[in-house]
Amino acid sequence: MLGFSGLSYAYPDARAPALDGVELSLGSGLALLTGASGSGKSTLLRVCNGLVPHFHGGVIAGQATVVGRDVLTTPTRELARDVGFLFQDPELQSVYASVERDVAFGLENLGIPSREMGRRVDEALQSCGVAHLRGRAVSTLSGGERQRVALAGVLAMRPRLLVLDEPISQLDPAGAEALVAALDGAIAQGTAVLVAEHRDELAFRHSGRALQIEAGRLTEGVPHSGPAPTSPRVTVRRGRGPAPTEAGWQLSRVTAGYGATPVLHDLELSGGAGEVLVLSGPNGSGKSTLLRTIAGLLPPLAGAVRRAPGRVAYLPQNPGALLHRSTVRAEVEWTLRRAGGAASPDEVLRSFGLCSVAGRCPRDLSSGERQRAALAAVLAGSPSLALLDEPTRGMDEPSRSALVEAVAGLAEAGAGVVLATNDRRLAGEIATRVVQVGEGTAREAFSPPEAAEPC
Amino acid sequence: MNPRALAVWSAAGLVIALSTGNPAYRAIVLLCGLNLVAARGRPGVSARPLLFGAGIAALIATLLTLLLSHTGAHVLFRLSPGIPAIGGAFTLEALAFGLATGLGIAAVVLAVAPLTLVCEPHELVDALPRPLARTGAAVGAALNLIPGTIRSAREIRDAQRMRGWRAGRVADWPAVAVPVVLTALEGSLTLAEAMEARGYGAQSRTHLATTAWRAGDTAVAVVSGSAAAMFLVLRFSGGAPDWYPFPLLSAPPVTIAAISCCACLVIPVLWPRR
Repeated sequence: MLGFSGLSYAYPDARAPALDGVELSLGSGLALLTGASGSGKSTLLRVCNGLVPHFHGGVIAGQATVVGRDVLTTPTRELARDVGFLFQDPELQSVYASVERDVAFGLENLGIPSREMGRRVDEALQSCGVAHLRGRAVSTLSGGERQRVALAGVLAMRPRLLVLDEPISQLDPAGAEALVAALDGAIAQGTAVLVAEHRDELAFRHSGRALQIEAGRLTEGVPHSGPAPTSPRVTVRRGRGPAPTEAGWQLSRVTAGYGATPVLHDLELSGGAGEVLVLSGPNGSGKSTLLRTIAGLLPPLAGAVRRAPGRVAYLPQNPGALLHRSTVRAEVEWTLRRAGGAASPDEVLRSFGLCSVAGRCPRDLSSGERQRAALAAVLAGSPSLALLDEPTRGMDEPSRSALVEAVAGLAEAGAGVVLATNDRRLAGEIATRVVQVGEGTAREAFSPPEAAEPC
Repeated sequence: MNPRALAVWSAAGLVIALSTGNPAYRAIVLLCGLNLVAARGRPGVSARPLLFGAGIAALIATLLTLLLSHTGAHVLFRLSPGIPAIGGAFTLEALAFGLATGLGIAAVVLAVAPLTLVCEPHELVDALPRPLARTGAAVGAALNLIPGTIRSAREIRDAQRMRGWRAGRVADWPAVAVPVVLTALEGSLTLAEAMEARGYGAQSRTHLATTAWRAGDTAVAVVSGSAAAMFLVLRFSGGAPDWYPFPLLSAPPVTIAAISCCACLVIPVLWPRR
């Protein structure tokens, strides 16, 4: 199905190759590609359908064939007949505004007759479990629904090789489960699937082949053989830092939403200094709305929001929203200057493992590195309250560890931390409280006295 | 409604609104456009932003004419002639001409608005002639990016505010403007990648479904096209007199024939909805 031999590639103007002597042969079934942020996962995946080098340019050497075609001489649009590609961000890959039309986009490009097209769209929507969304506008879908619609658009083209770049990194557990179930069906029908992913849901049902990439060099990893745990091990951190004191922030009978449309109703919620509160709930449930309300970015429709004095650090879902300086170091220095703290930028960069990329433009980094840079940029300068929206998006294990340490450090220093995340493992590792957001409300999912295991 | 029939209707509305300065005819085009948007607008798509924009444009045109044109017999008030550009007499005639100009702008907007407010974007793309189909798909995809860009602009502004940014000095604006531009560019590149990865440009495009051409569409196209042609004939043969309020304001002259031509633009709403 796919064969790479001595494949090396460097992006335009890059000093080091992104891929270095890759040897790979893939047949049918699932292959799971793992590797640290910036290791070359996305680049390798993009070679499969020719986006690298045809779209991105650069210097490539070696041989690459996919379904019997030479990738280096076949345009991506031709390879699209056999290779389906699903991107990480469900928001940026829909072409048309309506679900049905968006799923049909690839088929229209391939000149499939409209009758056959209708049949394939039906089948693809069914197989991804989104047939009920057929007439909906794409903009009204949740992230999970959008990603499944995007997968349906790819599957409708009946690819022989399906390539997925961190497809569940932005999905809630239910959305991820549904996407994995849809992939099951494709694999059962003989489609070869190559997927890069940090989260381990994709190992649930398959004894997939494991591949690992590091600094552009590909190696065989340890095969996945059994189901991963389906429920998180909840370990509430206790005894670290000061006990939560008086409320660092408080919502009193708050109704929050956009325009005149409330998303959350009549909330009574508060968080103390030194406390790590995790907001959990499906995509679109209102976690970001709640964070923005606590931050003061979204005035409540009713009720009152109170925050203790001090700097509030806020990490939005899209790290690109923050990064505008020419280097990662400049981003950290900018925050430190405005925060007026005495911390050294080097110290901050080191704590997030960013020393090696400190002089690079944040937007040239991989998604995981970029997320870390954004975290460093907002958490520098000892904030009294940190509000983090999906901070583990696209993060590898070292980055997660750095995040956990940073959050623990903030809590120890007496800052309040509120995270919106669907990463159950992260919640289990760092939460002192978990609040479930959904159906217009927010309720305590567990609190330390009942759920905690002393560590 | 078939987008091609609607395109004929829009063209007819534009021809009438742009070929005359007579506010009576322009007002009829405007009312027919409003009626069509109200009766056949897509569910869930608000016409308010567009109407608001048209209203603002019309208002600006009215004010500019009033401020800058100092001719006319009926003086409303005067400013010192020493004031550059706007100094002098403010006349009823200038106000009327400004209103007519604003009405013309609003009529033009309402002649074109149904294309986006009545038809789905993909219907418009599908209706393009084959040589333009690929470009149309790209334009449709690009338009799809606009709501996301607006959302990300808000997100960026908020994120920077939380880092201490304030919208005070011009020198501070790059902190918001640069990420907005870069994020939009990145989004465009990702979308281009996604389109390429889904075979965009591989060969001539087909369509999932095209909006069928029905008897009502023929009626709309024939009636509106004929009405515009007839109006042009009347316009240049003196049967649809123009209007000019200077130097002395008078009521716009109208003829039954010209009004009938304009009123024919009501045809789309007379046909049952699909």
